[in-house]
Amino acid sequence: MSIIMQLIISGIAMGFIYALVGIEYTLIWNASGVLNFSHDKLITLGAYIFGGTYILALKMGFVQGILLSLLTVAIVGVIIARTIFIPLRNLTMIYTIMATVMLGKIIVEGIRLFWGPVPFSVPGFLVGTVKIGKVVISRANIAIIITAFICVCALQLFLYKTKPGKAMRCVAQNRNAAQLMGIDVKTVMVTTVAISMIICCLIGVLVSPLLNISTTMSNMIGLKGFAAGVIGGFGYLPGAIIGGLVIGIVENFASMIFPSVYKDIAAFVLLVAFLLIRPKGITGKTR
Amino acid sequence: MKTARRNQYLWMGALFVFLALVPLFADNNYYITILNQMVINMIVVFGLNFITGLTGQMNLGTAGIYAIGAYTSALLSKNFGLSPWLTMIASVCAGFLLGRGLGYPSLKMKGVYLSLTTLAFSEIVRIFATNLIDITGGTQGLKSIPRFSVGWIALDTNTKYFYFILVVAIAMCLLSIRITDSKWGREFRAVKDNQDAIESLGLDIRRIKIRAFTLAAMYGAFGGALYAHFNGYITSLSFTTDLSINYVIILMVGGIGNILGNMIGSIVVTLLPELLRFLGDYYQITYCILVLASALFLPDGLISLYGKVMGVFNKRSVAEGGE
Repeated sequence: MSIIMQLIISGIAMGFIYALVGIEYTLIWNASGVLNFSHDKLITLGAYIFGGTYILALKMGFVQGILLSLLTVAIVGVIIARTIFIPLRNLTMIYTIMATVMLGKIIVEGIRLFWGPVPFSVPGFLVGTVKIGKVVISRANIAIIITAFICVCALQLFLYKTKPGKAMRCVAQNRNAAQLMGIDVKTVMVTTVAISMIICCLIGVLVSPLLNISTTMSNMIGLKGFAAGVIGGFGYLPGAIIGGLVIGIVENFASMIFPSVYKDIAAFVLLVAFLLIRPKGITGKTR
Repeated sequence: MKTARRNQYLWMGALFVFLALVPLFADNNYYITILNQMVINMIVVFGLNFITGLTGQMNLGTAGIYAIGAYTSALLSKNFGLSPWLTMIASVCAGFLLGRGLGYPSLKMKGVYLSLTTLAFSEIVRIFATNLIDITGGTQGLKSIPRFSVGWIALDTNTKYFYFILVVAIAMCLLSIRITDSKWGREFRAVKDNQDAIESLGLDIRRIKIRAFTLAAMYGAFGGALYAHFNGYITSLSFTTDLSINYVIILMVGGIGNILGNMIGSIVVTLLPELLRFLGDYYQITYCILVLASALFLPDGLISLYGKVMGVFNKRSVAEGGE
């Protein structure tokens, strides 16, 4: 029983990571119609800025390090939005996909040149376990669940209670109408990419205790985030959260039945199954 | 219009003749290997051109299809001793099944689903190829895949194999031209240009897209089989997402939807990393920046450059004629 409990909790933790990935690219997809294929590399970049620069090189505290790296990636996000996403927004899908893929490759090469090719980890960050009754939970999983929950709530508040958030929702619904109503679509895009980058960096920081920090650390997370979006309902934020949780839990149980090397396939099988049976996803809302 | 097309055919012929002449002057195993890879890339990209170039649906899973083709042919010929001719046909059949099976769920709906499923599919293929060590050899790879012979000529050297696949590539190129100029090709282009118009004419978009994707998968699997028999050794490490992206890069750099462009793209993109080697550590990043720049500033590929240059010349000659 306690094993099942443990599986569910670590599944929920991983699920929240996929949910955050889903949210992060859905925001950009809704604001600019660009599917961001470089998002997994942006997660890696966030982890490198946090672990490589602020903690290991500058020897900062964890809280300071996280806050500073969030600020740094937001600035990077503004630059990327201005140079890549705004020029791309009117091009055909093929060019936007290709340009973001190449952006990802450039980021990886930049990381390799700047921080070096050797993987590393952040010592002492969210290690150890907590025992509640008979259930043993790792600290990293608890941190992931709490942070992701706060992040989702904060995003919801931002989207529904503040003016920039409302503008983002307007642009997501209808870009042309929003522009006619006097919303500056370019500014909204820049804000969106910056917020998406902040979420990417948070994901990078949160998964760094689970995976080593390396250039390929987030390839799988990125792909499963896409699967989460499709399973929940593509382009719909609550759908991404539900899809992410489903993938996280299902793949943890799959690792109980099948050899654990095939665990990663569960998400993709779910993806194809949903496309065949219910292409609109669990929530039935797509954009 | 007609002369433009005839010009393109002339250029294609010239390129093939040029490629056929290269081994006579550069008889170096390294160059011949690159040439072989170049022509195999060309065949795969001819296929990718149907789905991504003409129909406008992004396929990011060419590596998976290519891997399936390579493993099908290699395993059948190695374990069951079948003639590679038969196993290559088998891998084309595998490509056909793959195109149907993967195309049906992902092309049923409009949108980006094909890019996501193909990306996921190639990842699944890679995971299986890496972990089914008993069958595929995993990352250690599959060794001593047999070469084969055409009639009485054994394709034992790389140069002979190069001439064989060059002939195959010419055949594939002619087939591509035939398909592009037929009703199928016109349907593919119509899907990219105006989906509503096609629906109002009573054609089924899904079937057209699936047909294009199946063609792409067949070409891709065939290319994979040719690669397996050329290299004699395949490992799951080479079938990564980067390979799929590389094929789309070839398509984009050359010129989307244009067969001559595909040929130019595969020549340029296969050679470019070799030419940029002198940059050492910085060659990958330079390569990526060049490709990104070409996507942003030269969206119609290198082939459009030719048109622009010819346009300038034509204008000048018209002006001179007027004087």
